[in-house]
Amino acid sequence: MSPTGEELYRQREQRFNDIVALRKPDRVPVVPLACGYFADLWKGHSYKEAGYNHPQHYAAIRDATIEFGWDLSPMNSLFAADGYEALGITQLRWPGGELPDDTGFQFVEDEYMLADEYDEFLADPNGFTVRKIFPRIATNLEGFAQVPIPPLYFMANTYYLLNVGGPLLGAPPIRKALESLLAMSDAVGAYFAADAATGAELAALGYPRAVAAPIIPPFDMVSDMLRSLRGSTMDMYRHPEQLLGAIDLMEKAQIGLALMLIQLTGNPRVFIPMHRGAGGFMSEEQFEKFYWPSFKRLVLAIIEAGGVPCPLLEGDYTPRLKYLAELPAGKVAGHFDKVDRLKFKEVLGDKMCFWGNVPLSLMCTGKPQQVKDDVKELIELFSDTGTLMLDSVTGIPDEARPENVMALREAADEYGVF
Amino acid sequence: MSQELTDAIVEMREDEAMALVKSMLDGGADPTTVLEQAKDAMTELGRRFECEEAFIPELIMGGEIMKNIAEELKPHLKGAGVAKKRGTVVIGTVHGDIHDIGKDIVVMMLDINGYEVLDLGVDVPAEQFIAAIRKNRPRVVGLSGLLTLAFDSMKSTVEAIATAGLRDQVKIMVGGAPADKQVQDYTGADGWGNDVGQALKLCAEWTGGEA
Repeated sequence: MSPTGEELYRQREQRFNDIVALRKPDRVPVVPLACGYFADLWKGHSYKEAGYNHPQHYAAIRDATIEFGWDLSPMNSLFAADGYEALGITQLRWPGGELPDDTGFQFVEDEYMLADEYDEFLADPNGFTVRKIFPRIATNLEGFAQVPIPPLYFMANTYYLLNVGGPLLGAPPIRKALESLLAMSDAVGAYFAADAATGAELAALGYPRAVAAPIIPPFDMVSDMLRSLRGSTMDMYRHPEQLLGAIDLMEKAQIGLALMLIQLTGNPRVFIPMHRGAGGFMSEEQFEKFYWPSFKRLVLAIIEAGGVPCPLLEGDYTPRLKYLAELPAGKVAGHFDKVDRLKFKEVLGDKMCFWGNVPLSLMCTGKPQQVKDDVKELIELFSDTGTLMLDSVTGIPDEARPENVMALREAADEYGVF
Repeated sequence: MSQELTDAIVEMREDEAMALVKSMLDGGADPTTVLEQAKDAMTELGRRFECEEAFIPELIMGGEIMKNIAEELKPHLKGAGVAKKRGTVVIGTVHGDIHDIGKDIVVMMLDINGYEVLDLGVDVPAEQFIAAIRKNRPRVVGLSGLLTLAFDSMKSTVEAIATAGLRDQVKIMVGGAPADKQVQDYTGADGWGNDVGQALKLCAEWTGGEA
């Protein structure tokens, strides 16, 4: 008798947990961390449809999970394009917006906060976000910059709430911004409803979800989102104390958000995409000062709360392996992009499981046999401990060839049964 | 004196570097010499980057200091540009991809290393590369990309360059975080790189000079 969905779910959770805890599993699982456009393209849908038609997008991920024999279902890595549209987002470009229908969404990195605005931001992060950042990333929120908004504590009484708050909310630019926010919320609501429905369907079939929504490391929150690579780089030399102040603020927020997500989603696996800490992006001295301390505290706080940090180490983290060795053994699921496998095995093999690392170029331009050979090499390397999970470098690449995605499963079955 | 400015830039002492430039100019130093010393610093940073003693922040910050120095020197240089003698490189992020951080660093370092660089920007269609090759006759064409969709875009750009009958005139390098030998072979390029060091090496090799 074949196992029920419930049994399969339990087995797959157990396998994942065993591998993270450095216990040898029965076999090597295929666990795509995330899926963006791949499933839609495989189904013959356009990039544009993927962002706008949420039920169809999630159904495509569901079907891909089953068809390609993934052990856990990936996190969806596309956001609601109708949500972007409602706000007039300028921080991203997407198919259906400025980009043609046959290309994926892309982030527009810029200095959304200027170097001389640190003090203003640190003194009143919420007010600054509403008055300065929102209007810079979304045209429909420009009203927040056009009308002077008093600090909210000013309205901590009936008198000012009515007599200042009332007219303020009635001002046409503010009203337009608020209506845009509500329209965005409606779009995102439909998107999350589709997400929840697919999640429940897959869970009933026996597929746990790999990871929940992303928690961005404190340094990257400042560098990626507010100051840009160029800006945050200058800040390391010109405004180190203010940069550290912003990182500190982001650390508190991200820890709070991570713990909230574990509670809300019931999924202990917290996805942490790491960008600017990669080798080459800063010196060890800078890494130790600006990146690692807040990141480490974030990881430890998640472990403390019973979560499983799942950092995605984008770029080449080989030079940072010695830092990762400081994290508690058997508690972190490290997902790797371009790391040196042999070096990982040497430095971290008895401390952390190994997840990912099958090159993008092979998945998108190679032949199935090349993918299988690469997976075979990985499985042989980790055959003693079995602490390995298969995936490409950041989940299933959008333009991966379906036969190469299937090759991950075939290789796992062929070489990965212990 | 001469090494002082170079050292200040290499060690990221920005204020000191700017003060030195001013005092050198006040003391009657030849502005071309001052510029050369600043460029020596960038060359040294490039060398350190190669052997992993310096990293992207030093290149970005060094470039910023360099820009400010060039600005300071502008009125003194009287339009006497520094001759480019190492050949022309046409570079751009391929169609469909709008990422530019890596490309911009490569452009800056090629420029500092004496190449004539024509930066076509991002989301560059094949026709624009072809027009630029016809007009500028570069020795090297650089195709940059971060997204996986860039692989096909790079491939079709290389094919279009061949169809236009220009393939033999240029060496083509593909670059970006996901680039590797597999991508080079797939796209039909002549070389690949993940960082600025590899780009400099390829250009030197193809223009017959030293990296």
